[in-house]
Amino acid sequence: MKRYVYINDDESSHELFCDNRISNRKYTVLNFLPKNLWEQFSRFMNQYFLLIACLQLWSLITPVNPASTWGPLIFIFAVSASKEAWDDYNRHLSDKKANEKLVWVVRQGIRKHIQAQDIHVGNIVWLRENDEVPCDLVLIGTSDPQGLCYVETSALDGEIDLKTRVIPAACMGIDFELLHKIKGVIECPNPDKDIRRFDANLRLFPPFIDNDVCPLTIKNTILQSCYLRNTEWACGVAVHTGNETKLGMSRGIPEPKLTAMDAMIDKLTGAIFVFQIVVVMVLGIAGNVWKDTEARKVSLDLVKSLYAKFIDWDSEMIDYETGIPSHATNTAISEDLGQVEYIMTDKTGTLTENRMIFRRCCISGVFYGNEGGDALKDTKLLNAVAGSSPDVVQFLTVMAICNTVIPIKSKTGAILYKAQSQDEDALVNAAAQLHMVYVNKNANILEIRCNGSVIKYEVLETLEFTSDRKRMLVVVKDCQNGKIVLLSKGADEAILPYAYAGQQTRTFIEAVEQYAQLGLRTLCLAWRELKEDEYQEWSLMFKEASSTLVDREWRIAEVCQRLEHDFEVLGVTAIEDRLQDGVPETIETLRKAGINFWMLTGDKQNTAIQIALSCNFISPEPKGQLLLIDGKTEDEVCRSLERVLLTMRITSSEPKDVAFVVDGWALEIALKHYRKAFTELAILSRTAICCRVTPSQKAQLVELLKSCDYRTLAIGDGGNDVRMIHKLISVLALVEEKGCRLQEQLIIVLESSAFLSQYSFYKSLVICFIQIFFSFISGVSGTSLFNSVSLMAYNVFYTSVPVLVSVLDKDLSEGTVMQHPQILFYCQAGRLLNPSTFAGWFGRSLFHAIVVFVITIHAYAYEKSEMEELSMVALSGCIWLQAFVVALETNSFTILQHLAIWGNLVAFYVINWIISAIPASGMYTIMFRLCRQPSYWITMFLIVAAGMGPVLALKYFRYTYRPSKINTLQQAERMGGPILSLGNIEPQPRSMEKEVSPLSITQPKSRSPVYEPLLSDSPNSSRRSLGSGTPFDFFQSQSRLSSSYSRNCKDN
Amino acid sequence: MADMNRERHRTRETAFYLFTQQSLPACKPVLTPGWVITIFLFMGLIFIPVGLITLRASHSVVEIVDRYDTECVPEAFRIDKISYIQDDSIPKNCSRFMKVHKYMKAPIYIYYQLDNYYQNHRRYVKSRSDKQLLHGQKYHDTSSCQPVELNSGQPIVPCGLIAWSLFNDSFTFIRERAELKVNRKNIAWKSDRDHKFGKNVHPFNFQNGTLIGGGKLNPKIPLSDQEDLIVWMRTSALPSFRKLYGRIEEDLDADDVIVVNLMNNYNTYSFGGKKKLVLSTSSWLGGKNDFLGHACVIIGSSSLILAIVFTLLHLKYRRPHGDTSYLPWNRKSLSG
Repeated sequence: MKRYVYINDDESSHELFCDNRISNRKYTVLNFLPKNLWEQFSRFMNQYFLLIACLQLWSLITPVNPASTWGPLIFIFAVSASKEAWDDYNRHLSDKKANEKLVWVVRQGIRKHIQAQDIHVGNIVWLRENDEVPCDLVLIGTSDPQGLCYVETSALDGEIDLKTRVIPAACMGIDFELLHKIKGVIECPNPDKDIRRFDANLRLFPPFIDNDVCPLTIKNTILQSCYLRNTEWACGVAVHTGNETKLGMSRGIPEPKLTAMDAMIDKLTGAIFVFQIVVVMVLGIAGNVWKDTEARKVSLDLVKSLYAKFIDWDSEMIDYETGIPSHATNTAISEDLGQVEYIMTDKTGTLTENRMIFRRCCISGVFYGNEGGDALKDTKLLNAVAGSSPDVVQFLTVMAICNTVIPIKSKTGAILYKAQSQDEDALVNAAAQLHMVYVNKNANILEIRCNGSVIKYEVLETLEFTSDRKRMLVVVKDCQNGKIVLLSKGADEAILPYAYAGQQTRTFIEAVEQYAQLGLRTLCLAWRELKEDEYQEWSLMFKEASSTLVDREWRIAEVCQRLEHDFEVLGVTAIEDRLQDGVPETIETLRKAGINFWMLTGDKQNTAIQIALSCNFISPEPKGQLLLIDGKTEDEVCRSLERVLLTMRITSSEPKDVAFVVDGWALEIALKHYRKAFTELAILSRTAICCRVTPSQKAQLVELLKSCDYRTLAIGDGGNDVRMIHKLISVLALVEEKGCRLQEQLIIVLESSAFLSQYSFYKSLVICFIQIFFSFISGVSGTSLFNSVSLMAYNVFYTSVPVLVSVLDKDLSEGTVMQHPQILFYCQAGRLLNPSTFAGWFGRSLFHAIVVFVITIHAYAYEKSEMEELSMVALSGCIWLQAFVVALETNSFTILQHLAIWGNLVAFYVINWIISAIPASGMYTIMFRLCRQPSYWITMFLIVAAGMGPVLALKYFRYTYRPSKINTLQQAERMGGPILSLGNIEPQPRSMEKEVSPLSITQPKSRSPVYEPLLSDSPNSSRRSLGSGTPFDFFQSQSRLSSSYSRNCKDN
Repeated sequence: MADMNRERHRTRETAFYLFTQQSLPACKPVLTPGWVITIFLFMGLIFIPVGLITLRASHSVVEIVDRYDTECVPEAFRIDKISYIQDDSIPKNCSRFMKVHKYMKAPIYIYYQLDNYYQNHRRYVKSRSDKQLLHGQKYHDTSSCQPVELNSGQPIVPCGLIAWSLFNDSFTFIRERAELKVNRKNIAWKSDRDHKFGKNVHPFNFQNGTLIGGGKLNPKIPLSDQEDLIVWMRTSALPSFRKLYGRIEEDLDADDVIVVNLMNNYNTYSFGGKKKLVLSTSSWLGGKNDFLGHACVIIGSSSLILAIVFTLLHLKYRRPHGDTSYLPWNRKSLSG
């Protein structure tokens, strides 16, 4: 369970722990072939082809040369194997580079330059600025006198802001010369992949410090693959090395992911297999009846009379091409993109800019910033600051120091703040503008400058903000008067309930409500003076808790809870997080396209609803309806869940936008106890807002939808979304601004992949049917009409090149799609091989096979019926037909399409002329002979006319008289006229300030809390006003319906 | 110069950009009634004349067909034809009369036609060795020739079922007591003679085994000159086929009666195959074959009919093309 790392002990750890050689390789030279083959053959399709190929080795039952199957099989395998090998080689190269990088390590008390791979657990590693961290280290010293250093962790969690790391208290102040000789032991857990936790203890051996145990957290570590920034040097003890580091444990090469199309192909292969068996049985019996003189294994003969096996070999190859490289990291998923049904999005940083601006505040019941929309310019507040009103000063003090921000003095004297959270940054900056400047942090001593005087505080304990606790805690000691003060900052429901008994929290609740309506992020600030003995007592408990190895986080939280009571609530801050450009339009578009949208956020319910409203996430009344699921107990949640579900079922037929809102607490209960009901709700609901959710809940939700077989796309940027995204098939980090672009890609990918599979199905079936028909006139013996070379070329060359280009085909221009996003929804319905399109293509291939076969055998009867000639005539017929089929299915012809379709036809002749010029080939002179015959050309035109005429007529008829939605738009688009759509997306007013705020601000005191009757007993009951005199306390407002949203609409 | 280069470079870059953005200039044909009706009209106007020309060519060909497999078996053996054909002691010669009903211009092609003869059966088709035909005994691997592969341990030249079953009826033609000259040279493809059948390969042990199949070959003549064999080895893809026997290089007049003296050696009786003798002239299109002509006319006229139907439909149910108000979501918002 634990490992003991002895610092600077060169020998002992070598056997116990691995060295620092990292290896991302999937294969070695020896196991490459078997492992890769095993992986490839774990797909049903490949197994099937192998079976076929093996059957072909038995020459008795094989009508064609085994090479016609083995060739493509080996080719395909070689392509994917070499791709894997190349990837692996590149991984090996980068590993090697990382392994051989030189680093400074202390050995026998001397600093040495060694290769990174030779680092052992217990070594002290020295890093300089901008160095990459070679393994997981526990910091023991930095160039910074306060023991701080900055790391960039983007390789680890994708967050690009710098994080501060600090040396453990025990190492504080050790002279840097002595660091070489430091000895001690670190008791740390076994390697795991949690990059947010490191619960360990450090004990230094004399003479450095007494035998005290010093707790270590993730703050004291720097992990592999991070970069040291803004710090001259840092040194640390290697605790995890090689592939045992946090990064190494969470690494692992993802197994190849099966996309929807792959799965479909596998299913199709299965269907073909069954189809083959049936045909084999039927024809086998027929063959035996026909030739009863010889008992033969006719049934097996016929296994090979079918060539449906070639289906999708080409599409398999195309996989590499379809990856539209603009934003997908995994090319294979691009086709899944077209089929996304659910999009789960994070709010902050994804929908919004993540640029926080302090806008308003409410201090001791006085609202600031309501008039101008900017508290920093509010003269009332400025006056209060100038007049040193104690409330305001306290408030600003908390704003300035209750955080983990680090001020850095730049050379020009200006103070820059290094903050991990944008909210804190906004608060500290705002405080600074209000003359409460956080100047310096020196070890544990904070300096703030207030109206010219410098106040110093000693930080005693800090407990950072966690999304579970939803508040942060700082205990400081005022250096002037020695008073110990507890400062806290957090969500309203995490602060307000702990206010001291006599305090009126009413105004704060109202402030929070009001700000939330404006879509602002609110934080409550509170403080409490601690008595010396109370602090001492608690401090001991805190120390103990923070050095436990098991459940440390929970224990600390529990201990902190003991201090958190009798708060004096100082006020509420409101921070604006502006929406990103184009977000409302994008969401509107995607929603019209029939994609379900869920917003998962850690924000307050009202804030979330406001944001949702302003970005078109939910429609305002009367079009939209909002249902709320809440409750504190199982029963309550259950009841409200059922009610929502009932309403949902009833309204699902109405053209109404129904969305449900669930908060983290209710979600927890719902997921735990009422999973089934919640799942049903999830399926019914097109829109959902989940507020106050934790990262793990986000992941659970994604999992839930995935388990219902929905294709889900998760969008997020922050570290808290990593878990959610990891749960997905499709790992995508998308910038929302790219939304519009994504949209077009969706429809293109969607259509082309559908056509691709239909087409490969079609062209294989044509050949297959011709072979079956031919077997009827060849004594059901299973003779192949086509020779092996032609068959192989037909499948891997003649018919795949045009399709490759069809990938680039566009049904509609982007403009049209953007105007009629609903079309996407209809596309989703008609995609892939659903039974009717399947039947259509099946019928078409049957018809074409009949056309080719009948015309060929009649036009080339009697003296012209020579085998090679006839086979070439039939093959050319197929090639001509497929060229026209592709041409008919292509919607827009660019030069590429023309090249591919007609160039391919020309190439067919050129290739066959070349083959016909080789005396050794079976087809010697055949093509020249045919091309000289007028009857050949007449036959070709006859085949094309007979094959395409009815198809064209049918298509035209449907196109004109039974047009699909796409057709109508295509027509409209190409007529060039104005495309009218009543569902036009108008630019939505986005600024919350302009539209929404006047409504709620004008009457903040007298507004009557009108509750939306959504959850009233009868779903159809009309709205019911509870009047303004209704008891209105915090919890009730929480457990009742949230209605700010409907209220707005009513006011509108 | 540099400017031009840069210009070209830029153009290429732009083209590539357009490609990656999938916005190359494109032509987007739309199935408008006008276009479709024109296409069908056009098809009709092309295919009907082509069909008529083709039919005319086919009709210009004069063809005489005479089935002789039953008639050439003496009455006494009609019940058991197989014993007749397998009995070497019975003479197989037979005379047939063919009446020329129309003037036939030289060259007149002589074909023998076999019906219900599955030369395309898989095991039959495979039973040959192209390499042996070209290289003779130098090529040893004749495993593909099964079941007619070896004779007393030595590969048969030529080996395989196809060669073994060589057609061996022979015909002579007499018109007014004078024998018509039949040219039996150059009946096989020149490419086969030059490149597929060896000039030094002699069929020294052909048809020497216990099971005698069809025709025998003169061991002195190399395979490249055994034209009957070369013709026979070009297997047919259909169960009814004609193979060239020779050419009569004199014109035949209407009402000429031609006496055919034939040796009815070939056994098609055991599987119910039919044998026919065909005399035919040829046109630019080949032999007599009405199919292409008929098919063209049918396709052409149905295209015309379709064009007319579509025109009428278009006139009657004139539907605004590309009217987006028909889209369901627009319809909904119209009504709601």
